[in-house]
Amino acid sequence: MHVYIYDYFLSQRKHDSLLAKIETRITDLGLNGKVVRLGQIKNIKETVQNEIRRGAKTIIAVGDDELVSQILDGVANTSTPLGIIPINTGKNAITTALGINSSEQACDILSARRIEKIDLGTINASFFISTLTIPNEGTILQVNQEYSMETTAAGESMVINLPITKNGFPGNFLFSPQDGNLELFVKTKKQKKFSLHPKEVAQSVLSVDNLTILNTKHHPALVDGVRKINTPIDVSINKNALNIIVGKDRLF
Amino acid sequence: MFNKEDRNNNKEAETIIGPSVKVSGEFNGNGNIIVEGIFDGNLKTSGNLYVGDKAKIKANIEAKEARIGGEITGNIKVDGHLEISSSAKILGDIICSNISIAKGAILNGNCSMKHIEAVAK
Repeated sequence: MHVYIYDYFLSQRKHDSLLAKIETRITDLGLNGKVVRLGQIKNIKETVQNEIRRGAKTIIAVGDDELVSQILDGVANTSTPLGIIPINTGKNAITTALGINSSEQACDILSARRIEKIDLGTINASFFISTLTIPNEGTILQVNQEYSMETTAAGESMVINLPITKNGFPGNFLFSPQDGNLELFVKTKKQKKFSLHPKEVAQSVLSVDNLTILNTKHHPALVDGVRKINTPIDVSINKNALNIIVGKDRLF
Repeated sequence: MFNKEDRNNNKEAETIIGPSVKVSGEFNGNGNIIVEGIFDGNLKTSGNLYVGDKAKIKANIEAKEARIGGEITGNIKVDGHLEISSSAKILGDIICSNISIAKGAILNGNCSMKHIEAVAK
Protein backbone atom coordinates (compact mmCIF):
# COMPACT_ATOMS: atom_id res chain seq x y z
CA MET A 1 0.00 0.00 0.00
CA HIS A 2 1.21 3.50 -0.84
CA VAL A 3 0.98 5.97 2.04
CA TYR A 4 0.76 9.66 1.16
CA ILE A 5 1.92 12.02 3.92
CA TYR A 6 0.29 15.42 3.32
CA ASP A 7 2.15 18.40 4.80
CA TYR A 8 0.12 20.41 7.31
CA PHE A 9 -0.08 23.51 5.07
CA LEU A 10 -2.06 21.51 2.49
CA SER A 11 -5.14 21.86 4.67
CA GLN A 12 -5.39 25.44 3.36
CA ARG A 13 -8.16 25.77 0.78
CA LYS A 14 -5.91 27.35 -1.84
CA HIS A 15 -4.28 23.95 -2.38
CA ASP A 16 -7.56 22.07 -2.95
CA SER A 17 -7.57 22.21 -6.74
CA LEU A 18 -3.92 21.14 -7.01
CA LEU A 19 -4.52 18.24 -4.63
CA ALA A 20 -7.58 17.21 -6.64
CA LYS A 21 -5.45 17.15 -9.81
CA ILE A 22 -2.74 15.11 -8.12
CA GLU A 23 -5.26 12.64 -6.69
CA THR A 24 -6.92 12.19 -10.09
CA ARG A 25 -3.55 11.52 -11.72
CA ILE A 26 -2.59 9.08 -8.97
CA THR A 27 -5.86 7.20 -9.44
CA ASP A 28 -5.35 7.10 -13.22
CA LEU A 29 -1.93 5.56 -12.69
CA GLY A 30 -3.31 3.01 -10.23
CA LEU A 31 -1.15 4.38 -7.41
CA ASN A 32 -3.83 5.32 -4.94
CA GLY A 33 -3.36 4.53 -1.28
CA LYS A 34 -3.80 5.85 2.21
CA VAL A 35 -3.63 9.59 2.94
CA VAL A 36 -2.23 10.82 6.25
CA ARG A 37 -2.75 14.53 6.88
CA LEU A 38 -0.22 16.01 9.27
CA GLY A 39 -1.27 18.46 11.91
CA GLN A 40 1.20 21.13 12.93
CA ILE A 41 2.20 19.23 16.05
CA LYS A 42 2.04 15.67 14.79
CA ASN A 43 5.20 13.61 15.30
CA ILE A 44 6.23 12.86 11.72
CA LYS A 45 8.84 10.24 12.60
CA GLU A 46 6.39 8.22 14.68
CA THR A 47 3.64 8.55 12.08
CA VAL A 48 5.89 7.26 9.29
CA GLN A 49 7.31 4.41 11.39
CA ASN A 50 3.78 3.30 12.30
CA GLU A 51 2.76 3.22 8.63
CA ILE A 52 5.87 1.21 7.70
CA ARG A 53 5.09 -1.23 10.52
CA ARG A 54 1.58 -1.63 9.09
CA GLY A 55 3.10 -2.64 5.75
CA ALA A 56 3.42 0.54 3.68
CA LYS A 57 4.97 -0.29 0.28
CA THR A 58 6.00 3.31 -0.36
CA ILE A 59 6.00 6.44 1.78
CA ILE A 60 5.22 9.49 -0.34
CA ALA A 61 5.89 12.97 0.98
CA VAL A 62 3.44 15.48 -0.45
CA GLY A 63 4.87 18.89 0.41
CA ASP A 64 8.08 20.88 0.21
CA ASP A 65 11.71 20.34 1.33
CA GLU A 66 10.78 20.90 4.96
CA LEU A 67 8.57 17.81 4.96
CA VAL A 68 11.13 15.77 3.00
CA SER A 69 13.84 16.66 5.51
CA GLN A 70 11.64 15.81 8.50
CA ILE A 71 10.35 12.55 7.07
CA LEU A 72 13.88 11.11 6.76
CA ASP A 73 14.00 10.19 10.45
CA GLY A 74 11.07 7.83 9.95
CA VAL A 75 12.05 6.21 6.66
CA ALA A 76 15.88 6.01 6.93
CA ASN A 77 17.43 2.57 7.30
CA THR A 78 14.24 0.77 6.24
CA SER A 79 13.61 -1.03 2.96
CA THR A 80 10.57 1.15 2.25
CA PRO A 81 11.28 3.66 -0.52
CA LEU A 82 10.52 7.35 -0.19
CA GLY A 83 8.69 9.09 -3.02
CA ILE A 84 8.05 12.81 -3.26
CA ILE A 85 5.30 14.90 -4.78
CA PRO A 86 6.56 18.48 -4.51
CA ILE A 87 4.19 21.32 -3.76
CA ASN A 88 5.72 24.55 -4.99
CA THR A 89 6.41 26.80 -2.01
CA GLY A 90 9.79 28.11 -3.16
CA LYS A 91 11.47 25.52 -0.97
CA ASN A 92 11.83 22.68 -3.46
CA ALA A 93 15.57 22.53 -4.17
CA ILE A 94 15.99 18.97 -2.87
CA THR A 95 13.21 17.62 -5.05
CA THR A 96 14.66 19.39 -8.09
CA ALA A 97 18.09 17.85 -7.35
CA LEU A 98 16.36 14.45 -7.33
CA GLY A 99 15.05 15.13 -10.84
CA ILE A 100 11.47 15.90 -9.81
CA ASN A 101 10.42 19.28 -11.18
CA SER A 102 6.65 19.43 -10.70
CA SER A 103 3.81 17.64 -8.97
CA GLU A 104 2.46 16.39 -12.33
CA GLN A 105 5.85 14.94 -13.29
CA ALA A 106 6.20 13.47 -9.80
CA CYS A 107 3.17 11.21 -10.34
CA ASP A 108 4.75 9.75 -13.48
CA ILE A 109 8.07 9.34 -11.65
CA LEU A 110 6.26 7.45 -8.88
CA SER A 111 4.73 5.21 -11.51
CA ALA A 112 8.13 4.55 -13.16
CA ARG A 113 9.49 3.70 -9.67
CA ARG A 114 13.19 4.24 -10.39
CA ILE A 115 14.70 3.56 -6.97
CA GLU A 116 18.21 4.64 -5.99
CA LYS A 117 19.96 3.79 -2.74
CA ILE A 118 21.65 6.88 -1.34
CA ASP A 119 23.69 7.93 1.69
CA LEU A 120 22.28 10.23 4.33
CA GLY A 121 24.13 12.58 6.63
CA THR A 122 23.45 12.23 10.33
CA ILE A 123 23.37 15.20 12.67
CA ASN A 124 23.31 14.33 16.33
CA ALA A 125 20.36 11.87 16.36
CA SER A 126 18.70 13.07 13.16
CA PHE A 127 19.26 12.83 9.38
CA PHE A 128 19.80 15.20 6.48
CA ILE A 129 19.70 14.46 2.79
CA SER A 130 21.22 17.49 1.14
CA THR A 131 23.38 20.10 2.89
CA LEU A 132 24.23 21.58 6.24
CA THR A 133 25.38 25.19 6.08
CA ILE A 134 26.90 27.49 8.70
CA PRO A 135 28.56 30.94 8.48
CA ASN A 136 32.38 30.88 8.69
CA GLU A 137 32.38 33.47 11.46
CA GLY A 138 33.25 31.70 14.71
CA THR A 139 33.04 28.25 13.14
CA ILE A 140 35.52 25.52 14.06
CA LEU A 141 35.33 22.23 12.20
CA GLN A 142 36.93 19.20 13.83
CA VAL A 143 37.30 16.63 11.08
CA ASN A 144 37.59 12.86 11.55
CA GLN A 145 39.07 13.55 15.04
CA GLU A 146 42.35 14.19 13.22
CA TYR A 147 42.49 17.86 12.38
CA SER A 148 40.59 21.08 12.87
CA MET A 149 39.78 23.78 10.39
CA GLU A 150 39.07 27.48 10.86
CA THR A 151 38.45 30.22 8.37
CA THR A 152 39.44 33.83 8.89
CA ALA A 153 37.37 35.25 6.03
CA ALA A 154 33.61 35.74 5.84
CA GLY A 155 31.55 33.22 3.91
CA GLU A 156 30.04 29.87 4.69
CA SER A 157 30.98 26.28 5.33
CA MET A 158 28.82 23.58 3.83
CA VAL A 159 28.66 19.84 4.44
CA ILE A 160 27.29 18.28 1.27
CA ASN A 161 25.64 14.93 0.71
CA LEU A 162 23.29 15.69 -2.19
CA PRO A 163 24.26 18.94 -3.93
CA ILE A 164 21.29 21.08 -4.94
CA THR A 165 23.19 22.51 -7.88
CA LYS A 166 26.03 21.48 -10.17
CA ASN A 167 27.38 25.02 -10.37
CA GLY A 168 29.55 26.98 -7.96
CA PHE A 169 31.97 24.20 -7.12
CA PRO A 170 35.62 24.27 -8.12
CA GLY A 171 36.85 22.39 -11.18
CA ASN A 172 35.45 19.00 -11.88
CA PHE A 173 34.39 18.12 -8.37
CA LEU A 174 31.39 15.81 -8.55
CA PHE A 175 29.53 15.44 -5.30
CA SER A 176 27.22 12.46 -5.10
CA PRO A 177 25.03 10.98 -2.35
CA GLN A 178 26.26 7.58 -3.52
CA ASP A 179 30.02 8.09 -3.04
CA GLY A 180 30.14 6.99 0.61
CA ASN A 181 31.53 10.37 1.72
CA LEU A 182 30.38 13.76 2.82
CA GLU A 183 32.13 16.72 1.26
CA LEU A 184 33.14 19.74 3.24
CA PHE A 185 33.01 22.84 1.06
CA VAL A 186 34.23 26.15 2.47
CA LYS A 187 33.51 29.31 0.52
CA THR A 188 35.10 32.58 1.57
CA LYS A 189 34.17 36.07 0.49
CA LYS A 190 36.06 39.32 0.55
CA GLN A 191 34.36 42.67 1.07
CA LYS A 192 35.77 45.18 -1.38
CA LYS A 193 36.13 48.78 -0.24
CA PHE A 194 33.27 50.98 -1.49
CA SER A 195 31.31 47.95 -2.70
CA LEU A 196 28.15 46.52 -1.19
CA HIS A 197 28.65 43.17 -2.83
CA PRO A 198 31.28 40.86 -1.39
CA LYS A 199 33.32 38.97 -3.94
CA GLU A 200 33.82 35.22 -3.68
CA VAL A 201 37.52 34.65 -3.52
CA ALA A 202 38.37 31.16 -2.46
CA GLN A 203 37.06 27.70 -1.98
CA SER A 204 38.23 24.68 -0.04
CA VAL A 205 37.02 21.14 -0.56
CA LEU A 206 37.67 18.07 1.56
CA SER A 207 36.12 14.61 1.83
CA VAL A 208 35.07 13.73 5.37
CA ASP A 209 33.51 10.77 7.21
CA ASN A 210 32.62 12.58 10.37
CA LEU A 211 33.11 15.98 11.90
CA THR A 212 32.06 18.12 14.80
CA ILE A 213 30.92 21.67 14.13
CA LEU A 214 31.37 24.30 16.82
CA ASN A 215 30.53 27.97 16.62
CA THR A 216 31.89 30.42 19.17
CA LYS A 217 29.48 33.15 17.96
CA HIS A 218 26.42 30.94 18.49
CA HIS A 219 25.41 30.99 14.82
CA PRO A 220 23.02 28.10 14.08
CA ALA A 221 23.46 25.75 11.13
CA LEU A 222 20.84 25.45 8.40
CA VAL A 223 19.90 21.84 7.64
CA ASP A 224 18.66 20.95 4.14
CA GLY A 225 18.02 24.66 3.60
CA VAL A 226 14.92 24.56 5.81
CA ARG A 227 15.56 23.99 9.52
CA LYS A 228 18.02 25.51 11.97
CA ILE A 229 19.97 23.70 14.67
CA ASN A 230 22.44 24.99 17.23
CA THR A 231 26.04 23.88 17.64
CA PRO A 232 27.82 21.71 18.71
CA ILE A 233 26.77 19.35 15.94
CA ASP A 234 28.20 15.89 15.36
CA VAL A 235 27.97 15.06 11.67
CA SER A 236 28.65 11.69 10.10
CA ILE A 237 27.59 9.62 7.13
CA ASN A 238 25.09 6.78 7.09
CA LYS A 239 25.88 4.87 3.91
CA ASN A 240 23.06 3.49 1.74
CA ALA A 241 20.53 4.59 4.35
CA LEU A 242 17.67 5.58 2.06
CA ASN A 243 15.81 4.07 -0.87
CA ILE A 244 14.42 6.98 -2.83
CA ILE A 245 12.37 7.27 -6.01
CA VAL A 246 14.11 9.64 -8.41
CA GLY A 247 13.62 11.19 -11.82
CA LYS A 248 15.99 10.75 -14.73
CA ASP A 249 17.09 14.42 -14.52
CA ARG A 250 18.61 13.97 -11.06
CA LEU A 251 21.96 15.64 -10.31
CA PHE A 252 23.87 12.42 -9.51
CA MET B 1 51.78 16.07 -11.41
CA PHE B 2 49.65 19.20 -11.63
CA ASN B 3 50.14 21.17 -14.79
CA LYS B 4 49.29 24.85 -14.68
CA GLU B 5 45.91 24.56 -16.39
CA ASP B 6 44.77 21.67 -14.22
CA ARG B 7 45.86 23.47 -11.09
CA ASN B 8 43.87 26.52 -12.02
CA ASN B 9 40.80 24.41 -12.65
CA ASN B 10 41.50 22.13 -9.65
CA LYS B 11 40.81 19.25 -11.99
CA GLU B 12 43.14 16.72 -10.47
CA ALA B 13 42.85 17.62 -6.79
CA GLU B 14 40.84 15.62 -4.29
CA THR B 15 41.45 18.10 -1.49
CA ILE B 16 41.82 21.87 -1.64
CA ILE B 17 42.78 23.95 1.37
CA GLY B 18 42.08 27.45 0.15
CA PRO B 19 43.44 30.84 1.24
CA SER B 20 42.01 32.17 4.55
CA VAL B 21 41.67 28.60 5.80
CA LYS B 22 43.79 27.28 8.65
CA VAL B 23 44.08 23.54 9.21
CA SER B 24 45.73 22.11 12.35
CA GLY B 25 46.44 18.45 13.05
CA GLU B 26 47.19 15.22 11.24
CA PHE B 27 46.06 15.14 7.64
CA ASN B 28 46.33 11.81 5.82
CA GLY B 29 45.08 11.85 2.24
CA ASN B 30 45.00 9.45 -0.69
CA GLY B 31 44.57 11.84 -3.58
CA ASN B 32 46.18 15.02 -4.80
CA ILE B 33 46.17 17.97 -2.42
CA ILE B 34 46.36 21.69 -3.06
CA VAL B 35 47.32 23.93 -0.12
CA GLU B 36 46.86 27.68 -0.56
CA GLY B 37 46.20 28.50 3.10
CA ILE B 38 47.81 27.75 6.47
CA PHE B 39 48.61 24.26 7.70
CA ASP B 40 50.04 23.23 11.10
CA GLY B 41 50.73 19.61 12.00
CA ASN B 42 51.60 16.69 9.74
CA LEU B 43 50.61 16.35 6.12
CA LYS B 44 50.79 13.03 4.33
CA THR B 45 49.35 11.88 1.02
CA SER B 46 49.93 9.04 -1.41
CA GLY B 47 49.10 11.50 -4.18
CA ASN B 48 50.74 14.72 -5.32
CA LEU B 49 51.00 17.93 -3.34
CA TYR B 50 50.86 21.48 -4.64
CA VAL B 51 51.72 24.26 -2.20
CA GLY B 52 50.69 27.71 -3.45
CA ASP B 53 52.88 30.82 -3.34
CA LYS B 54 51.05 32.30 -0.35
CA ALA B 55 50.67 29.10 1.65
CA LYS B 56 52.30 28.78 5.06
CA ILE B 57 52.98 25.30 6.35
CA LYS B 58 54.49 24.21 9.65
CA ALA B 59 54.51 20.47 9.19
CA ASN B 60 56.42 17.43 8.16
CA ILE B 61 55.28 16.54 4.67
CA GLU B 62 55.15 13.25 2.79
CA ALA B 63 53.88 12.98 -0.76
CA LYS B 64 54.38 11.14 -4.04
CA GLU B 65 55.47 14.25 -5.90
CA ALA B 66 55.33 17.90 -4.88
CA ARG B 67 55.55 21.41 -6.19
CA ILE B 68 56.33 23.99 -3.50
CA GLY B 69 55.70 27.70 -3.87
CA GLY B 70 55.08 28.93 -0.30
CA GLU B 71 56.71 28.81 3.12
CA ILE B 72 57.39 25.47 4.75
CA THR B 73 58.90 24.87 8.17
CA GLY B 74 59.40 21.13 8.48
CA ASN B 75 60.89 18.16 6.70
CA ILE B 76 59.77 17.14 3.23
CA LYS B 77 59.86 13.57 1.98
CA VAL B 78 58.83 13.01 -1.62
CA ASP B 79 58.97 9.70 -3.47
CA GLY B 80 59.43 11.20 -6.90
CA HIS B 81 60.09 14.68 -8.22
CA LEU B 82 60.19 17.76 -6.01
CA GLU B 83 59.85 21.11 -7.71
CA ILE B 84 60.72 24.18 -5.69
CA SER B 85 59.65 27.42 -7.31
CA SER B 86 61.22 30.86 -6.91
CA SER B 87 58.73 32.03 -4.26
CA ALA B 88 59.41 29.04 -1.97
CA LYS B 89 61.00 29.35 1.46
CA ILE B 90 61.85 26.02 3.05
CA LEU B 91 63.33 25.53 6.52
CA GLY B 92 63.85 21.80 6.91
CA ASP B 93 65.41 18.70 5.44
CA ILE B 94 64.44 17.25 2.10
CA ILE B 95 64.45 13.68 0.83
CA CYS B 96 63.38 13.07 -2.77
CA SER B 97 64.33 11.15 -5.91
CA ASN B 98 64.97 14.17 -8.08
CA ILE B 99 64.68 17.88 -7.59
CA SER B 100 64.52 21.19 -9.39
CA ILE B 101 65.05 24.48 -7.59
CA ALA B 102 64.19 27.79 -9.24
CA LYS B 103 66.35 30.89 -8.88
CA GLY B 104 65.28 32.91 -5.85
CA ALA B 105 64.05 29.99 -3.76
CA ILE B 106 65.29 29.78 -0.18
CA LEU B 107 66.30 26.41 1.22
CA ASN B 108 67.85 25.95 4.67
CA GLY B 109 68.33 22.28 5.44
CA ASN B 110 69.87 19.04 4.24
CA CYS B 111 68.91 17.60 0.91
CA SER B 112 69.28 13.86 0.25
CA MET B 113 68.49 12.04 -2.94
CA LYS B 114 66.74 8.71 -2.47
CA HIS B 115 68.49 6.66 -5.13
CA ILE B 116 71.92 7.84 -3.89
CA GLU B 117 71.00 6.59 -0.41
CA ALA B 118 70.03 3.23 -1.87
CA VAL B 119 73.35 2.94 -3.81
CA ALA B 120 75.30 3.82 -0.66
CA LYS B 121 73.60 0.99 1.22
